[in-house]
Amino acid sequence: MTSLRETLRSHLALIPATATITIFMVLPILIILVYSFLAPGDYGGGKPEFSTNAYQRLLFQRDLFDQMVFDPAYLKIAFRSVWIAVVSVVGCLLLGFPVAYYIACQPEERRNIFLLLITIPFWTNLLVRTYCWILVLRDTGLVNVGLMRMGLIDEPLTLLYTEGAVALGLIYTYVPFMVLPIYASLERMDRRLIEAARDLYSNRWVALRYVVIPLAMPGIIAGAILVFIPALGAFIAPDLLGGGKNLMLGSLVQLQFSSARNWPFGSALAMVIMAMVLMCLFFYARSAKKNGGGIKH
Amino acid sequence: MTSAIGLSGLQKTYPGAPPVRALRNADLAINDNEFFTLLGPSGCGKTTLLRLMAGFEVPTGGKLTLFGEDIAHLPPEKRPINTVFQHYSLFPHMTVLENVAFGLKRLHKSDAEAKQVAQQMLDLVHLADFGDRKPGQLSGGQQQRVALARALAPQPRVLLLDEPLSALDLKLRQSMRAELKRLQRETGITFVFVTHDQEEALAMSDRIAVMSQGEIQQVGDPATIYEFPENRFVAEFIGDADFFEAEVLGGTEYKLSNGALLTGPRTEAAIGSQVTLFFRPEKAELKQSGSGLPGQVSEILYLGNSTDYVVDLAQGGALTVRSENHKDGTALADVGADVVVEIDPAAVRVVTT
Ligand SMILES: Nc1ncnc2c1ncn2[C@@H]1O[C@H](COP(=O)(O)OP(=O)(O)OP(=O)(O)O)[C@@H](O)[C@H]1O
Ligand SMILES: [Mg+2]
Repeated sequence: MTSLRETLRSHLALIPATATITIFMVLPILIILVYSFLAPGDYGGGKPEFSTNAYQRLLFQRDLFDQMVFDPAYLKIAFRSVWIAVVSVVGCLLLGFPVAYYIACQPEERRNIFLLLITIPFWTNLLVRTYCWILVLRDTGLVNVGLMRMGLIDEPLTLLYTEGAVALGLIYTYVPFMVLPIYASLERMDRRLIEAARDLYSNRWVALRYVVIPLAMPGIIAGAILVFIPALGAFIAPDLLGGGKNLMLGSLVQLQFSSARNWPFGSALAMVIMAMVLMCLFFYARSAKKNGGGIKH
Repeated sequence: MTSAIGLSGLQKTYPGAPPVRALRNADLAINDNEFFTLLGPSGCGKTTLLRLMAGFEVPTGGKLTLFGEDIAHLPPEKRPINTVFQHYSLFPHMTVLENVAFGLKRLHKSDAEAKQVAQQMLDLVHLADFGDRKPGQLSGGQQQRVALARALAPQPRVLLLDEPLSALDLKLRQSMRAELKRLQRETGITFVFVTHDQEEALAMSDRIAVMSQGEIQQVGDPATIYEFPENRFVAEFIGDADFFEAEVLGGTEYKLSNGALLTGPRTEAAIGSQVTLFFRPEKAELKQSGSGLPGQVSEILYLGNSTDYVVDLAQGGALTVRSENHKDGTALADVGADVVVEIDPAAVRVVTT
């Protein structure tokens, strides 16, 4: 009797959380899923008829004779997106880890100031901040002018509208998402463990390798996920810094809902992005389980 | 013979306002194969001295040598010295065996050899079957022994132990004392042991350095430290003592500040000068009558194997006498009883203040 009542009560307690997840996560995803199986409406939206066209378009193109032929254009964009997202994750890690480590080593009061500084970019509009990179990277921008003044180069380097510029923009945008979780795991770490490692014949770098990084691994993984997912779907940096030719999945989705007016195709793309992310997470979870959740030493 | 660890004029001042002089002009020579203890109250600089030896702090003055070689500015990883930390500091992401093998691996021993030695070390601390566990799955006492095995595994020249037993309960602490003693004997490694527990220090050490406020007060074997403390601080910190201010009357006679006369040791102090006398409470005797200092029992503290009697002296002042109970378990005197405290002149010591 009591156990029944208790299960009931524990279910009741879950209602707010369940409702939140349903309303803000499950429902929107379902709507996207439904749209991806509709035919495109004439002025956006979808016609209420079942169609898998949107998914076919990912890989096939209708040629002049109305035949479906394989077209890797979107596949290329998907690969490029993953590639740029991975580069962004690595960049954020290389940049973010030392920063997080440095902050974690500061005295208590100063840490909070540094954390505040890390979040300052969020106070300004992302679009504006990304535009600023154009001023830095363009042919007559800060970098090129600076280098030419110093006489290091004669011609301006092509910096803007490259994959590198996109990755740079993404790293710049998402590095705080890497710093914060790594900081959280480093701050929890017992600093005396580093001394213990030093005592046992490890110099700083060896101690970093065998003690600090393994203990920061949960933060590193969380940071990688937090950077990878939005970087994969980003469209502001690719649009502004990549120009037309460095399209990423995010810009493609955005295009479908604006000028292209093909909501079902946009929805299908969104589903594909989600599937890719879930796949990455799945493989990570499986390898983590195989390693006993820890890092092999 | 060069000493295992030598300090001469070693200083450590932590910056700050005002700067903290944690260690002032320490001179010390710790012998090879010795169980050496640093003893002192909280904040006297024991950990600081240990951290200087380990290499976590750089001295602000003086010399620090390891078997004659200057190591003051050598980083910790270059010193053949290992530490057992007060809070164990085991690596939580590694198994017990990996923890113990860590130092060996960093010394570029092969995997097989590191593993074998680590297993031997676990045998040595009676944790042979715990190699696959994570430190979080061990009790405090077991973690303590893993920390010990980890520090011993690379066979350091010197092992530093910072209050390694303070987190353990009394029974475990007592058995670990014997264990540590045994390990020190079996490995022949020099142990530098830090504690603020004088009983622990007396029971385990070959020699003890008593520290106070960043200075080494006295160095000696336990019996010397206990029986012949050089100053009042040492006498007070180690064991219990009854102190008297007294005037030297010449020969072996002293006049206590309350007017009573006491016979003690011969002293070089000039006749008429003021000195401090003390004796250990277990060396005085409580009598019903006889010659000695008369007084009245004002308080009784039962300690199990002995009893402390606080006696208010008839001529003023008070002292404590520690005495075994009668064989049948009854007390020597009750509160309020008139007694005489008899002090053997051989038990009285003169100290500088
Ligand atoms: N990093 C530091 N910065 C400033 N002062 C310090 C630092 N470490 C220790 N001190 C000061 O130096 C003095 C000696 O400290 P130490 O830790 O060596 O004492 P201890 O004898 O080990 O004490 P305990 O028995 O409490 O561990 C103390 O007054 C302490 O406040
Ligand atoms: Mg200490």
